[in-house]
Amino acid sequence: MANSRVITHPLSRRQILKGGAALGLGSAAALSLRPSWANPWGQTNVYSKGVEEGPEVSLAIRRESILIDGKEARPFSINGTSPGPMIRLKEGQDAVLKVTNLLDEPTSIHWHGLILPPGMDGVPGVSFPGIAPGETFTYRFPVRQNGTYWYHSHSGLQEQLGHAGPLVIDAAEREPFRYDREHVLLLTDWTFEDPMSVFRNLKTAEGYYNFQERTIADFFADVREKGFAATAEMRGMWAKMRMSSRDIADVTGSTYTYLLNGHSPEENWTALFRAGERVRLRVINGSAMSYFDVRIPGLKMTVVAADGQPVQPVPVDEFRIGVAETYDVLVMPEDDTAYTIFAESMDRSGFARATLAPREGMAAEIPERRKIADRGMEAMGAHGMEGMDHSAMGGSDTQGMDHSGMNGSDMQGLDHSSMQGMDHSNMQGMSNERSRINANGMLAAGAAQPGSRYDQAGIGIDPEARRMLVYRDLKAFTPWPDRREPERELELHLTGNMERYMWSFDGKKFSEVTGPIHFEKDERLRLILINDTMMEHPIHLHGMWMELENGQGELIPRKHTLNVKPGERVSALITADAEGSWAFHCHLLYHMDAGMFRVVKVS
Amino acid sequence: MRKTLLTLALGLATTAAFAGAGHGGSQAAVSDADIDRTIRLEAGDMWFNAENLDIAPGDTIKFEIVNTGNLEHEFVIGDAKAQEEHREMMQAMMGSGDGGHGGHGGHDMAEGEHGGSMPSVTIAPGDTAELVWTAPQNVDGLEYACNIPGHYEAGMSGNIDLQG
Repeated sequence: MANSRVITHPLSRRQILKGGAALGLGSAAALSLRPSWANPWGQTNVYSKGVEEGPEVSLAIRRESILIDGKEARPFSINGTSPGPMIRLKEGQDAVLKVTNLLDEPTSIHWHGLILPPGMDGVPGVSFPGIAPGETFTYRFPVRQNGTYWYHSHSGLQEQLGHAGPLVIDAAEREPFRYDREHVLLLTDWTFEDPMSVFRNLKTAEGYYNFQERTIADFFADVREKGFAATAEMRGMWAKMRMSSRDIADVTGSTYTYLLNGHSPEENWTALFRAGERVRLRVINGSAMSYFDVRIPGLKMTVVAADGQPVQPVPVDEFRIGVAETYDVLVMPEDDTAYTIFAESMDRSGFARATLAPREGMAAEIPERRKIADRGMEAMGAHGMEGMDHSAMGGSDTQGMDHSGMNGSDMQGLDHSSMQGMDHSNMQGMSNERSRINANGMLAAGAAQPGSRYDQAGIGIDPEARRMLVYRDLKAFTPWPDRREPERELELHLTGNMERYMWSFDGKKFSEVTGPIHFEKDERLRLILINDTMMEHPIHLHGMWMELENGQGELIPRKHTLNVKPGERVSALITADAEGSWAFHCHLLYHMDAGMFRVVKVS
Repeated sequence: MRKTLLTLALGLATTAAFAGAGHGGSQAAVSDADIDRTIRLEAGDMWFNAENLDIAPGDTIKFEIVNTGNLEHEFVIGDAKAQEEHREMMQAMMGSGDGGHGGHGGHDMAEGEHGGSMPSVTIAPGDTAELVWTAPQNVDGLEYACNIPGHYEAGMSGNIDLQG
């Protein structure tokens, strides 16, 4: 074990030798300060040794000049690489993670998705004071879980500049799937701008990075299709909501270079396999702001874990990964040929790309990018805005959007299943909701809330095009131990004002709330999240699992980050067994910084 | 939907062709005395405890498969192509986009229409099932698998070496 080293070299001798065996472009790049886990051969066995192997690991944080996409950049580095090295722990270990701050500003590391003591969670001001310049903080915690996770700075906007890395925990017992080789695929969104100026731009001019705004040409196209009145009315509606219908992401490919394992699409990082192998891909979305749709044309992907937790296998063609989520998929490339790993940003403004190939230097075709989706389509259920009575929208901001006007109107081609979530008042009595109501008037544990859209992947996806993973698919193998029905419900609205770049819970920014959200120690509660905004929000609770009530009854999956789609109502069960203070926030970095953040106190 | 139906139709057509070619043994016609060998296999989530079996051509095998997992599993013998077709059909039967209900709709297919051509048995969690099968003389190798959607991909397959 290499525990004695204070600062480990980014590449072990063994890996350099391995890389030398296949001196292709990827290896050459790997020698120039690439993360060591981005070894093209991956791990051949889940128990084989990586570089930053636990239980004792030392990490040094610096700011240094490193080439990104071939250009001069100054990211945060961890042990000399950016993104940082993979940390590999084993379930049952007592981890000792020493983090040394060699910056001239405070820093921190949060171990995303790990269940650990509150003082070890790494959120400055909540779990500890942070790590001052020149200081070393030693994190110590028992490793009580396994799977694919990640770590990142929880200080300011540092995470935007590469202060993140993969965290893999090997299982103590056999996992419910089998594979021959594994690769980590860490997705990030890099900007050559100063994150503070990105934030300022967002605050001063919404749509700053959105070059896909509707133009006058779009306007005339709409007029041709829909007539002048309807078009003007639609525009008016979006203006009233202080949103543009093309706000899919607020920071886009116009400033971002999307990276896979630290490499730009042009650099084409290569993951190697031998034909016939089952390959496990540990996909982590370590982005600050970007959702991705991931697919490998020519290969079926079988999803076997979500947020580190095993799920019953689901073969899919594509999956959407929200910021901070992780998915483990298995692929079986039978042919001795190259496949493109294609991660298209949800707003279609760019993509990350790598190649899965039997040899270095190969490439497969890069799929065509899909066209930008229009929020109008999704917000209204799918199709057919025509005939909608928009008068109901008048005066309302996004909060409490009242779609009651839609009920009697002629909604051509509208898929009513996708309407859930639009009109909350009417949903309660809907007879097709097959859920049980308990004596206390609450839905039975595991039932999907009216207003959830777990059978939809979200905006910009054609469900007919290919089999897409949806939240409804996620199903645990065994019921989690706490089978109590929830004793109470806690409802939180996700709120925002896009134009002024204010993001909040229940209309209040973090700076405006007086105290934490209180969970009674050991209570069983249902958290209901209602998204009143027109954007997706990946909501992350520290310290405790959220059991996503996706309708799978006692086999509902555990997650650390829940994607809540626009207008959607999502619920999760929580066992409040972790005494202490925990962060709870939207994992879109600038939303969190703008105020979509709360402290949860369990006592 | 149209695509789904087409896949299904193709699946059935190929299955019929296989049945016509007449490989695979009949379970009912074999008595205990005819059994050359008993192989005990464990089916867990998501694996069989063996990944390779050497079997002599012409031998009549009694498989005893115990399901130690949490989910229902199947044990199907066939060549790689037939297994893949079976898998595609079961996936289509599941209906895409809904992992929730109709989860095991494909099963009747496995034992019904497939029964003639691909020896198969379905095992509930905790149960043990038996399958008697005579290894063909004219094939080098076959696969065994669980083709419930996702199970094969997650690891539930193995090779039968029939080269003697």
